[in-house]
Amino acid sequence: MNFRASLVVAVSMAVAACANQPSEDVALHSLARPTYETRDLPDDHSAHVPHAIVVDFRDGTTKAEFDALETAWGVDLELADQEEGQDSAITVGAFPGSEEDEDALLERIRKNPEVEAAEPLMRYQASFTPNDPDYGKQWNLAQINMPKAWDVSHGKGVIVAVLDTGIAYENYDEFKQVPDLSGVKFTEGYDFVNQDRHANDDHGHGTHVAGTIAQATNNGEGVAGVAFEATLMPVKVLDFNGSGSTATISDAIRWAADHGAKVINMSLGGGGRSQVMESAVAYARKKGTVVVCAAGNTGRGNVEYPAAYPGSVSVAAVGPTGEKAPYSSWGKELDIAAPGGDTSKGPEAGILQNTIDRRDFTKSVYEAYQGTSMATPHVAGVAALLFANGAKNPDQVEKALFASAKPPQGARGWTEQYGNGLLDASAALKALKKLDTTELLPLEVQVAQAHHEAREAAPMETFGARTFGPTDWKPFAWAGALLAFVLLTLGRKERPGYLNVLFTPGFLVPMVLTTLGVFFVKWVAPANELTTSMTLPLPDWLGRIIFGRGSLANPLIYSAALPLLASLFAIKFKSFRPVAGGIAIGFAGILAYSAWAHAPALAWLPFTFLAIPFLVANALVCLFIARAMLKREAV
Amino acid sequence: MKLNGKIAFKDVETGVWVIEGDDGKTYQLAGGDRKLLKEGARVEADGEVDDDTLGIAMVGPRFVVKSYKLR
Repeated sequence: MNFRASLVVAVSMAVAACANQPSEDVALHSLARPTYETRDLPDDHSAHVPHAIVVDFRDGTTKAEFDALETAWGVDLELADQEEGQDSAITVGAFPGSEEDEDALLERIRKNPEVEAAEPLMRYQASFTPNDPDYGKQWNLAQINMPKAWDVSHGKGVIVAVLDTGIAYENYDEFKQVPDLSGVKFTEGYDFVNQDRHANDDHGHGTHVAGTIAQATNNGEGVAGVAFEATLMPVKVLDFNGSGSTATISDAIRWAADHGAKVINMSLGGGGRSQVMESAVAYARKKGTVVVCAAGNTGRGNVEYPAAYPGSVSVAAVGPTGEKAPYSSWGKELDIAAPGGDTSKGPEAGILQNTIDRRDFTKSVYEAYQGTSMATPHVAGVAALLFANGAKNPDQVEKALFASAKPPQGARGWTEQYGNGLLDASAALKALKKLDTTELLPLEVQVAQAHHEAREAAPMETFGARTFGPTDWKPFAWAGALLAFVLLTLGRKERPGYLNVLFTPGFLVPMVLTTLGVFFVKWVAPANELTTSMTLPLPDWLGRIIFGRGSLANPLIYSAALPLLASLFAIKFKSFRPVAGGIAIGFAGILAYSAWAHAPALAWLPFTFLAIPFLVANALVCLFIARAMLKREAV
Repeated sequence: MKLNGKIAFKDVETGVWVIEGDDGKTYQLAGGDRKLLKEGARVEADGEVDDDTLGIAMVGPRFVVKSYKLR
């Protein structure tokens, strides 16, 4: 048993202990050290360590006094820890005898004036820790915060379909169940390759993937799995070589969704875009099934199908350090990253599960594989935990997953390499609890808000979901700073006069509307999709009207194009100049802030290293326009 | 189509043979026979890209070799 931490809880009951003493002493005493009450402690009898008590002596009790009391009480006392220094005087005592004796003994000990408190020793297991002997090798489960998540959910009863090479789940014909799937719940699946009801594994891949989702856990055998009380549905769509056709897989997706699967795991990919499979994925999701797919192992900037289809959660892989694995594909369609292993750093950096030997499918082995196939079932497993813990539909599951994912260091939200970030099972369960209240808001706003709440310490989280969150004041602040800069660069004669600028509604209103959107609408109208959209900055709002919700920021809009247009207009109509100036300075603020905040992924610009110079250049153009517009005209 | 490149074994998933094409793309090796499985060998292959098959490897398009010459 390796308890992650066992806490010895010692609570002083100074008030009770001091009750026998003169009142003056009591007052002094309670000034000298804080007092605690016990009522907050759970009275959990199973947490009591048998034959052990905690005694807290008054500070300054000498060693000789301890020893004398030890003999008098018949208890073997030992200082609990040295952290507080020599005079911490909290001791742990061992005594012979039953639980009834314990109560009497404690009563007796409390009467001693040297004692501040005495109580049973309690042990708190910090989190559920499975007893599987090789659990310690599963760095991947620690990385996604599984122990804390297991305190909340084990995925009980949620059906997870594994569309793969099959699962070594039954003793049938020459097939044998692998030992660490013994006791795991299975529901009837289907073998689409051999057309029968026995979706056994003749390859090894599918059993490994199934193990990550629901390996028998806390059974004293092998390793653990993410959602070990979930129900696995074995669906064989790949042959003994690990390949299968679009037609077969599309059939299987619909079949699984029709037979009660809440989650479909597809650690497979390749081939071209298939209309048939795309509509199968859409069908499953509409039926309430979360479809989780591997992003691919090309190491390049394109996500494979089916991960790239809309409605599919696409998963990239990271190694033990949390850095993207070298083989992992990445790109615009990426949603989330999960541990997939990186065996270039040694076999222990792979994902270890129980599967069948690739050379002999009747033999059980524990093997460490790497791949986005290994990352995918982590996400599928956590999706099962979320369903078991009250998620009502794929929307909620995905929101909880994405909002709680941890972006890599230095990034502020969605990136092409990690999607919304690294999977965090415990945080996802917490995020799920918060969803109900914000159900009406559009997805990216909810994700942005959850990011913000989850990591308030990091100031930029509202930037998380490809567009700004509602009423983000930072672009406005940037615009203000840039305005000051522009005004300072203007010569005395050209300067329009600070007050004039700031209080000209023709200038100020466009600047505010550009950077903040109609920020005040939320105070006068109920929150719905329309009003929330209106509180977005102008480029995001425009982008949403033209290109639809959730689309990537468009470089046409995220550029100096609109201010340029306004300024051309202002050449003809002079009174329009302050308006054009306000729009230009607003855009300069947004673009500069976007660049500084590491930019949303711009559609058509595949690399962030191109996006940032693009934004900076356009911000400079906007500044130039703003300066020209604000300049007092030479008379 | 004709594909020139280098045979390689990639340790992802359960391991997969690929052709690293001179066109800069990586193709999953399919078809042909076991004599093709020589790490580092140069190959001139004739075959087709199979867009209709998915698999566990996900290392790139599947290239089904019909005939080949090792060099």
